[in-house]
Amino acid sequence: MSNTEQQGHSHARIAAIMSIIPGLGQFYNRQIIKGIIFLSVAAIYLRGFANLFNMGFWGLFTLGTEVPRDNSIFLLAEGLIALLVLAIGLLFYYLNLRDAYKNGEEIDYGLKTSSFGGSVKNMFSTSYPYLLIGPGFLLLIFSVIFPILFSFALAFTNYNLYHTAPAHLANWVGLDTFKQIFTVDIWRSTFFDVLGWTVIWTLVASTLSIALGIFLAIVVHQKDLKLKKFWRTVLILPWAVPGFVTILIFAGMFNDSFGAINNVLLHAIGIKAIPWMTNAAWTKVALLFMQSWLGFPYIFVVTTGVLQSIPEDLYEAALMDGATAWEKFRSITLPFILTQMAPIIITQYTFNFNNFNIIYLFNNGGPAVPNSTAGGTDILVSWIYKLTMQSNQYALAAALTILLSFFVILIAVLQFRRTKAFKEE
Amino acid sequence: MKSKLVKYLTVAGAAALFMGLAGCGPSSSSSSTTSSTKKSSTLLVWEDKDKAAGIKDAAAAFGKKNNIKVKIVEKTYADQLKELRLDGPAGTGPDVITIPGDQIGTAVTEGLLKELKVSQSTKNLYTKSAMNSQIVKGKVYGLPKAVETTVLFYNKKMVSDAELPKTTEEWYEFSKKQRANGKYGLLALWDQIYYAQGVFSGYGGYIFGKDSKGNFNAKDIGLNNSGSVEAADYVSKFYKDGLFPKGILGDKGINVLDSLFTEGKAAAVISGPWNFDPYKKAGIDYGVVELPNLANGKHMGSFIGVKSYNVSSYSKNADLAEKFVKYISDTKNSKVRYEKTKEVPAIKSLADSDLVKKDVDASAVAQQSLHAELTPNITEMDQVWTPINNALQVIDTGKSTSKKALDNAVSQINSAIKASDSK
Amino acid sequence: MHSIKSRKRVRLSFTYLLLGVVSLSIFYPLAWTIGASFNRGNSLVSTTLIPNNPTLDHYRALTKAGGTFYYFQWFLNSLKISLFTMILSVVLVSLTAYAFSRFRFVGRKNGLTLFLLLQMIPQFSALIALFVMAQMLNLVNSHFLLILIYVGGQIPMNTYLMKGYLDSIPRSLDESALIDGASNTRIFLQILMPLAKPMLAVVAMNGFTGPLGDFALSSVILRDPKAYTLPIGLYNLISDKMGASYTTFAAGAILISIPVALVFILLQKNFVTGLTEGGTKG
Repeated sequence: MSNTEQQGHSHARIAAIMSIIPGLGQFYNRQIIKGIIFLSVAAIYLRGFANLFNMGFWGLFTLGTEVPRDNSIFLLAEGLIALLVLAIGLLFYYLNLRDAYKNGEEIDYGLKTSSFGGSVKNMFSTSYPYLLIGPGFLLLIFSVIFPILFSFALAFTNYNLYHTAPAHLANWVGLDTFKQIFTVDIWRSTFFDVLGWTVIWTLVASTLSIALGIFLAIVVHQKDLKLKKFWRTVLILPWAVPGFVTILIFAGMFNDSFGAINNVLLHAIGIKAIPWMTNAAWTKVALLFMQSWLGFPYIFVVTTGVLQSIPEDLYEAALMDGATAWEKFRSITLPFILTQMAPIIITQYTFNFNNFNIIYLFNNGGPAVPNSTAGGTDILVSWIYKLTMQSNQYALAAALTILLSFFVILIAVLQFRRTKAFKEE
Repeated sequence: MKSKLVKYLTVAGAAALFMGLAGCGPSSSSSSTTSSTKKSSTLLVWEDKDKAAGIKDAAAAFGKKNNIKVKIVEKTYADQLKELRLDGPAGTGPDVITIPGDQIGTAVTEGLLKELKVSQSTKNLYTKSAMNSQIVKGKVYGLPKAVETTVLFYNKKMVSDAELPKTTEEWYEFSKKQRANGKYGLLALWDQIYYAQGVFSGYGGYIFGKDSKGNFNAKDIGLNNSGSVEAADYVSKFYKDGLFPKGILGDKGINVLDSLFTEGKAAAVISGPWNFDPYKKAGIDYGVVELPNLANGKHMGSFIGVKSYNVSSYSKNADLAEKFVKYISDTKNSKVRYEKTKEVPAIKSLADSDLVKKDVDASAVAQQSLHAELTPNITEMDQVWTPINNALQVIDTGKSTSKKALDNAVSQINSAIKASDSK
Repeated sequence: MHSIKSRKRVRLSFTYLLLGVVSLSIFYPLAWTIGASFNRGNSLVSTTLIPNNPTLDHYRALTKAGGTFYYFQWFLNSLKISLFTMILSVVLVSLTAYAFSRFRFVGRKNGLTLFLLLQMIPQFSALIALFVMAQMLNLVNSHFLLILIYVGGQIPMNTYLMKGYLDSIPRSLDESALIDGASNTRIFLQILMPLAKPMLAVVAMNGFTGPLGDFALSSVILRDPKAYTLPIGLYNLISDKMGASYTTFAAGAILISIPVALVFILLQKNFVTGLTEGGTKG
């Protein structure tokens, strides 16, 4: 039995082992054209990227040895690109081995290997989903994954003002930067302050705009309301005006001494000027107000769509049972909306978690608060931005990015795996 | 079984590829990642905002003589270093930049500036303090273009020369009266150390102490000594008593302050020579005087800011750029520039000439300069701005006592300096 | 009977009152911006809703290109970048979402998890990397690169949204088409995409507005004033230490807001009515 099995796989094994040099296994399987393609792809790959690998890996290990010839940051980037190219190469290599093995197996079973035309056709149908994903994924690798990997790598270097090109090189320092965040008092306390506010901000700002959006959609959805189209157009306006414009306008309106809010609106109803921009608590209130203002139309629009698709018979059944309006809302409308809109609602939270614009543009993360190296309303992303662009603390910013990502991944693993989009049948 | 074999082979292949190709490094020093030495046919000069008119003709003449195109681009001088960091390595950076003297130390640490070979006679052209701002560890990195320090601007329609207050106390009283009419008296951005330093120094506060040789000592920070605390208390009085509006606090405060003055809502502001022209254009009939005396009788101090022309180390035309810097900073061109831009030149003979002395605005700057000191140009200065400005804002908005906030700021500065030095 | 009627009247009047208040809070800042753009002076200090002495100066200032100010150039740049980002995102997102929704393949689950995580890590926490990349490719100042980066950033979140929407379209539809001999590509283009119009509109809007809200990323890639997008230019207009002009900013803001708002209002129909075409009208 075992003998026949050995016997039965001999072609497959030999083909796979021969394909250590890509293409040879295919030759062995008598798939000449495919073999030639594999062999030449491998040759072109090796020739084309030899220099990238050479420089890339050397740079990745050393981060440069000589100034001003070497620029650590560029070497690091090249190294990471080399790694990515290597990963793609290995994927190809794996496919080559697998192909050799599989076709060898077919010979073992006494089948004929498919002709070149046949394998092309075959390949097209099995790889159809990969073809669909391919372009997007490739773009993702270089515009999102590479930058994030780069940022992660940076966190383990000492790249800052004193280790920049052209005068200096950066070095690998392991976990030193993380140690600094957690051992230096001012950094630690700032980190936890910022993290705390980031979480509160995310929860409150998102929930407010979601609640307001759903509420207004239901209000406008009332059958006997007139001018529905008009109201919908008005309520969509805050979304239609580019967000950064609105935020900057609000920044002017909330000015403590000269803004319209204090001088006109509050003045008119006899409330004394509120220190919107110089008191962190009030700045937070203003930010929450603004984000609700900016965020609700999107939810409003989507909810309106969902409301129109609630089957009428659901309500009719409820009407028979003598349900009140509130009961109808709670047991039919709301659950329906929430299940339909789950992904959109989740993206609201992730959006606000990273809502750099509103924090930075409104008051630059300020006002200043005691005992903190960040501003009183800075969230993690705005703090990271300021450390990178204003204080040249690149490694520190990168380390914070890792911590932020870690936090996000933790939540994602805990929460999102349960949502519908992940369920497989 | 099948997948195992394939997987093993993949790993083996990966290892082979990695071993075979990795880690030999550049074959020779020539495979340089930084800029090549290819000469460019234009000389790119970054000039301060709205100041290009001062060097346009001279630059054209220089270009003609050296057979090169000189292109002038205006950029806020305080931001030029930040932009050079991005544009330099990209190869789109300038050859010559204009930066404030306090950034020289940082720029040299990063290696962004090229050392210049300057003869003693050239050095002697400039006032000593201005020239010193361009020297780091005995090496010259630029030539001073203009000197500026803060002065007091007053609106002649709102306060006459005769009744002009002479001390900060008098200003305090004057401001109170103005407030009663819904206007402002004196305004200053005292939530920023650049301006507040004038008060601090009068009370004995300082940023960095100096060693016996006159070099700044980053280990001696005087921003939380008793004088500084007194100064911070004094400054915060103006905010707490409502003489300064909260709207001039923070990043955008400077714009608000300028508008209050140009719209005739504030009688006087503390600002710098960069506003001579804009205020005039806004149609304000203003006078300029040196800063007033403090409550303790001492004259208010200020920072001397030196603007300089420097050569980027990324320049592909470094020699010509150096030549241009020397040429544009010489006596003749400095004079032209002064006439066009009203920026007070750093050339000794010009500063002493009638041309400058007879100019009321410029002579006020010169007067105040007697009480001014150089902005520290050591790298550590970079770590000072944010913490101390935050502390001042916290004090001015009454969120913390002066002592506590300043102690805090100093410990932040210290730890930031230590953190950057240790590695 | 009577009480029902009066209750209805109360409810409706409350509704109108509420909508009135909300509308006011929406219109006030917009009106104020319009007012500011006609005010004299540069700051908000003396800005009033109804200018005492209105002027068109700030609109005129926008037309004066030169130095570091090229409003209309920025305007065109922004429209171009937004438009291409929108088109490319819609294409790539719908392809990827289609694959994730309708096919079962090796790596699908890991791919989805990866997309989910990537949408939460902000792209611009890696500004340095993007800048280094731009330099290595010699594409500093390139709008093309910026568009690709924006599209890349749009993919994870929007794919996730689109996949969720496609999942809700019954598979029986494409299965019966498959039996009729339609190819995958035809099913995708002729059956799924028309049904997914509302979500396509959302993805399109995200793609269009994304670049209009970004200045952090773009200011790292675009270094030449002529290549700027509007957000960078307008932000500089009020953040400059010297020569900032809040009122000119307001004028510039209005000019960009009008076309964008118009596009929104036109597209709005698709958001709302598209969903009802599914058949279950309420």
